[in-house]
Amino acid sequence: MGLAVFYDGKTARRRVVSLVVTTASLDLYEDGETIASWPCNQVRQHPAAPGVLRLGPENPNSLARLDVTDAGDQAEVFRNCLFLTTGARKESTGRIVFWSLAATASLIVSAYVLVPILAEKAAPLVPVSVEKQIGAAVDKQIQFILGEKTCNAPAGAAALAKLSSRLSSVSPSKIAPEIQVISSKIPNAIALPGGRIYLFKGLLDKADNVDAIAGVLAHEIGHVRHRDSLRRLMQTSGTSFLLGLLFGDVTGSGAIILATRMMMDGAYSRDAERQADENAIAAMLALGRSPRPMGLLLSEIDKGENGPIPSMLSSHPLTTERLETFSKRTPTKEGEPLLSNEEWTALKGICEVKEP
Amino acid sequence: MTAAAAPERPSTPLSYSGNDDDFLRMLFKGSLLLIPTFGFYRFWLITKIRQHLWAGTQIEGESLEYTGTAKEILIGFLIALAILVPIYIVYFAISIVLGEKTPFANIPLFGILYVLARFGAYRARRYQVSRTIFRGIRFWMTGSGWGYAFRAILCDIPVLLTLGLAYPWTAAFLERYKMRHTYFGSLQGDFAGTGSALFQRVWWLWLLGVTGAAVLGLTIWGVTHLDPKDQAGMIFLITLFAILCVSFLSAAFLAVRSRWLIEGIRFADVALSSNLRKRNMVWLYVKAMFWFLTVALVFLAASVIFAMTKMLGLSGAQAGFGWASFVAIVISIIGYLTFVITLGIVHRYFLTRGLWALVTGSIAAANLDALEQVVAAGGPSGSLGEGLADALDFGGGL
Repeated sequence: MGLAVFYDGKTARRRVVSLVVTTASLDLYEDGETIASWPCNQVRQHPAAPGVLRLGPENPNSLARLDVTDAGDQAEVFRNCLFLTTGARKESTGRIVFWSLAATASLIVSAYVLVPILAEKAAPLVPVSVEKQIGAAVDKQIQFILGEKTCNAPAGAAALAKLSSRLSSVSPSKIAPEIQVISSKIPNAIALPGGRIYLFKGLLDKADNVDAIAGVLAHEIGHVRHRDSLRRLMQTSGTSFLLGLLFGDVTGSGAIILATRMMMDGAYSRDAERQADENAIAAMLALGRSPRPMGLLLSEIDKGENGPIPSMLSSHPLTTERLETFSKRTPTKEGEPLLSNEEWTALKGICEVKEP
Repeated sequence: MTAAAAPERPSTPLSYSGNDDDFLRMLFKGSLLLIPTFGFYRFWLITKIRQHLWAGTQIEGESLEYTGTAKEILIGFLIALAILVPIYIVYFAISIVLGEKTPFANIPLFGILYVLARFGAYRARRYQVSRTIFRGIRFWMTGSGWGYAFRAILCDIPVLLTLGLAYPWTAAFLERYKMRHTYFGSLQGDFAGTGSALFQRVWWLWLLGVTGAAVLGLTIWGVTHLDPKDQAGMIFLITLFAILCVSFLSAAFLAVRSRWLIEGIRFADVALSSNLRKRNMVWLYVKAMFWFLTVALVFLAASVIFAMTKMLGLSGAQAGFGWASFVAIVISIIGYLTFVITLGIVHRYFLTRGLWALVTGSIAAANLDALEQVVAAGGPSGSLGEGLADALDFGGGL
């Protein structure tokens, strides 16, 4: 039997009590009278200063505390009270790790499965005017990333306008495509939300004839028609927002930058790509031109590529199946050339600024 | 007035008796667990640290007790996310749609976060105070987070307009609001510190700070205009010097302010005093800075060596992609995580535990007899504030 300090949890009065530890209970006496008796199996330990054993009743709402400093008493308590650390206080590290991993997995599944589904369903609901505004914002980012100038030598621009209007006439779109050539050496073409299409000079250089370029443009117009860019932007920004959350970036400020970067080299879904191919083939056939040159151009890029892979190819290397689709479809009646030889030359030279 | 009356009172020093080795062991183990839990373990680590610090703090041989749980603050964090994420998503959508036309579209967002930060700080304090038990009685708080946020924001206006000169008075006003809404059981707290008293102790620091900033501005202007060759070296020296000055000034300011805050605390006749020295605080900051710099240098050296071996390895192996680059990425990620976690350990060891021990050890309490009459009252507050504080990443310190 030794002395201990007792607080009843109702007043802050410090009471020095005699503690008797039995196998069944801790009995507290003050001036010879019992003031409390705690059943041993209901006693819990609380954090306290080194050397002090602080005890309290099982009920977490009770703040009654008993500070035991006598080493002999402490040993007695440890011997008789076997549930000192049972209850809410004891949380296994394994469980914390498990649930953290589960939460992380759920975030990743949401990011890569739920967000694409949501984007798929939500994109058609976005008004065209809003898509145009989004497109303008993305355009600014893209121009910043590329740092390249758009090309508009007058003769070339006229040829491009003619080609664009011919393609639009057979491939009507709610969002008007707006094609521009950009002076980048990468062979690529991208469609932004809101209808802007960038044809990279590198691709124009690699093309032998206008039909190949027309096919690529019709393919991009297909993406514009089906609002694939908007869908992809919504998907990538949602995904990067969720992943950012995981790494503590609650603001999502990184997400928008990441999302616009993805516009450059991220891929459309396989279905979106097939649909755009269909659009290109249908447009070319309607104009009485063969879609084959486009397929050849893509496979040539595919073979010779060792730098960054253009978006048209990155999702899936140009399969023979895809090439065959282009090759086996031939127009029933051959139409007139899309551009004259002079216009084609002018288009290829659209980035050459003539010195006055 | 209070200073003159103080010596008559029997005063008892507080002491900090937490075991350093135990703390370090807990800190290292907890920090390592942050990796496999993607940071979620921080709620448990914070709770364990608080339990340790509270338990090590003794007043007349009685230690404080922290009764908060990690689950509570995790729930608070999740509620905070439920509030913040929609705000961010709306902002995200608005900035995409309007981004072009209105370059200031994000100002309302900062406004909202600013208010929420103040609200969260008060609610975090309410949470921590109401999880503090002493002599079987709960500390607790009333007062509204919004009411405090409103007052705090109003106070920021004169502080901004006077370049911080009005701070002592606004701080006294806000501290009075906090302390008058703080209770120990049935005993209401109060704050006796005055703005002018703090001003008398910090004006020279303010003067030093403003002069220093002006000199620094002029030097930078001079450097950018005069010698284009040695700019890099000069800028490095200036930055280093500026960091040292700022650390010194903020440590000195923190010491003076802490002492003023502690000495203003009243619970009826119970009053606190503190003999916190500026030099002790500065020394603590010097130690912390030394370890921060050492850790940073070690990791910088390690990453340079790693980058060099990678380059050598790649030139040997024909720049092949595949396993080599995969392993390199994994090593980089692990290295980065270790770096961040080591910085966290230094921060928590010196600026959480060290600061707590330094401040606690400086305090003496007078008239503790008055506590004998205190009766239990009040209840625990919710943990939303803690969650907001965590999500917005500002430490809601007690």
